Amino acid sequence: MAGVDVGGGGGKKRAVDAEINMIPFIDLLLVTISFLLITAVWSHMARLNADAQVPGKPSDDPPTNPEKPKDLHIEMRGTEKFVLQWKQGQQVVNSVELPRKEVKTVQNNVEIIRFPELAVKIAEEWKTHGQHAAATDDKTDRAVLHTDNKTEYKFIIGVIDALYATQRDRAFPTKTEKIPAFNVTFAVN
Amino acid sequence: MPVHKPERRLLHFISLAFVKKKVAGGGQRPVVAGLSLTSMIDFLVVTVVFLLMSFSASGEIGLPKGIQLPKAENVMDMVDAPVVAVTGRQVLVDGKYAGNTGSIIEADRLQIIEELKAMLKQRRDTWISLKKDKPFPGVVVLTIDQNVPALVVKSVFQTAAMSGYPNVSFMVDSLPHAK
Repeated sequence: MAGVDVGGGGGKKRAVDAEINMIPFIDLLLVTISFLLITAVWSHMARLNADAQVPGKPSDDPPTNPEKPKDLHIEMRGTEKFVLQWKQGQQVVNSVELPRKEVKTVQNNVEIIRFPELAVKIAEEWKTHGQHAAATDDKTDRAVLHTDNKTEYKFIIGVIDALYATQRDRAFPTKTEKIPAFNVTFAVN
Repeated sequence: MPVHKPERRLLHFISLAFVKKKVAGGGQRPVVAGLSLTSMIDFLVVTVVFLLMSFSASGEIGLPKGIQLPKAENVMDMVDAPVVAVTGRQVLVDGKYAGNTGSIIEADRLQIIEELKAMLKQRRDTWISLKKDKPFPGVVVLTIDQNVPALVVKSVFQTAAMSGYPNVSFMVDSLPHAK
């Protein structure tokens, strides 16, 4: 029997040192390892946040001359290009076009879609036109995604991922954290 | 007769040293190899400690069968919120049936899924009645297969918004950041 002898007792007296039986100890360790391996999570779920604010009731005391926010509209309906437009209300402030170059990789039979050039361009655009860059600003710029009905979800996620690559500092009472510079929503049309 | 210090014996006429010598091979390489328990136990303990540290007691949100999540890099940690899953043509809320997307695809236009709306509203009302002193977070997590068309995604998104859940999160499989 496996055991750890921690010295021997002598004579007829009860032994001073006991022998620890290692078999149940090893069994326990093996069972614990098996349990933890079986229940282990090997895939890491995460989320991409989006904003679905719908208009509420009109305020009784509307603000006088409210400044319209500048939103970034990402047009991804075309197969050849993206169109990035900064709009203030209906007025187009700036518009740029970008060739649609997706990077497709396959990992465990799952196709991963990335738009690295779009991510770089969005970061540049935000530096020029973004309205909420200050760390103390609790609001974020809004990005509106225009897709056609047939576009597959993975391409939408690819664009949202590129959008959230642009990050800024956000100061909280005790620390400063990096947060996405945009909050995304969908255009209905 | 000289007096010897008593030694361990198998039987009164067989000394244990004699048996040990036989088992060990009498100077040759022993047939039975010894197992170093100390290193084995050390290894097991380290493994247990590592697994315990990486163990998530809260469990993992179960994915319905047939959903292949898209992968993304710039992600946030998961939150505890109702999970709306879209698999094939079925819509599920926390695993319970909450509508069908077939009519949306056939109509080819954005629609509100009434069953999903009713179920989400009911959950919202339950939450508010249970936690009257806290503001309702309005967070819902969408678990959608990566090949589902945008029309369905937008319909589910709008339905969630209309049901009082303005903070919609898309569940993805996290990718390590590319360097």
